[in-house]
Amino acid sequence: MKNTLRDNGLSIGFGLIMIAALVGQAFAGHSAYNEQQLVEAGRQISLLQYLTSSEFAVDVAENWQSEYLQFFLYVYATVWLVQRGSPESKRVGNVGLESDKEQKVGRYASDRSPAWARAGGWRTALFSSSLGLVMGLLFLLSWLAQSIAGQSAFNTERLARLQDPLTWLEYVGSADFWNRTLQNWQSEFLAMGSIVVISIYLRQRGSPESKPVGEPHEVTQETG
Amino acid sequence: MALCGAVAGCGTGQRESDAAAAADEFLTAIGEGDGAAACAVLAPEAQEDLAASEGQPCEEAVGAQQLSSEAVDDVDVWGDRAQVRAGADVLFLVELDDGWKVAAAGCSPQGDRPYECEVSGS
Repeated sequence: MKNTLRDNGLSIGFGLIMIAALVGQAFAGHSAYNEQQLVEAGRQISLLQYLTSSEFAVDVAENWQSEYLQFFLYVYATVWLVQRGSPESKRVGNVGLESDKEQKVGRYASDRSPAWARAGGWRTALFSSSLGLVMGLLFLLSWLAQSIAGQSAFNTERLARLQDPLTWLEYVGSADFWNRTLQNWQSEFLAMGSIVVISIYLRQRGSPESKPVGEPHEVTQETG
Repeated sequence: MALCGAVAGCGTGQRESDAAAAADEFLTAIGEGDGAAACAVLAPEAQEDLAASEGQPCEEAVGAQQLSSEAVDDVDVWGDRAQVRAGADVLFLVELDDGWKVAAAGCSPQGDRPYECEVSGS
């Protein structure tokens, strides 16, 4: 048990703080929703009703999609783009998909390699892109969820303001949809760009996101 | 439109029927000149605004408005709000603790701006 917790500390730790933050968001969002209902002469709803509302769903989904987009882009971008001196980047001369030997696929796979890394053909090709593909798929699904929940929430607001509701296509072309989307995207791109550049010059002892404290600024790909 | 609502989850078909029934009750009361019945289906804010603007009780004031009493043609429910089309008239409804109520009636479009309504609670 103790070993399991230690060996999975990152996933368990982030899982717990994610749930805690989501619970906090639920309470705060519920309170904000009911305040707005008072202004718009609507009814007060329970926390459970709020948790099943499109307002809660769109607020969650708009953040999730941007996180998955961030990792989808980062996984693919770091194949082809490098940053000299950043521990987030691979070595400058290593741009591209790299050799089978470096990637330990096909005949270079070991007995401990995943089965699809050893299999060759379409299975190895698919497995070789599976991380980015799944991140991309999760991004598309959560972005779709944002659009559907966002349409419902936005149309509820529009009806309260005595305006016609929008179709889904009208909504995905609307300022509300793109405002929600882009305000999340810009913050993700800023965060990734910041860690790439700042980690060239600053250190965090013991963190794999940082180079070893004494490593020169120009050294790339070292973690410590 | 069959979609999950903002506050009541799925099962919008029933909610559309309920919203249409409330609108129909209001329109029938208007057609019959029954001010009390019409006001009973109006949202509290709409009742208050109507009484304040006309300087008389809602039951009397509602009869003086230019409201049609055509049958309900179409209902669109989103969350706790609904839009009902009845002939040339458009009504906006809100779902309160005691069911669907008419928040605005006798509404005409104003392009991208909100509808202008004979009766509304804003």
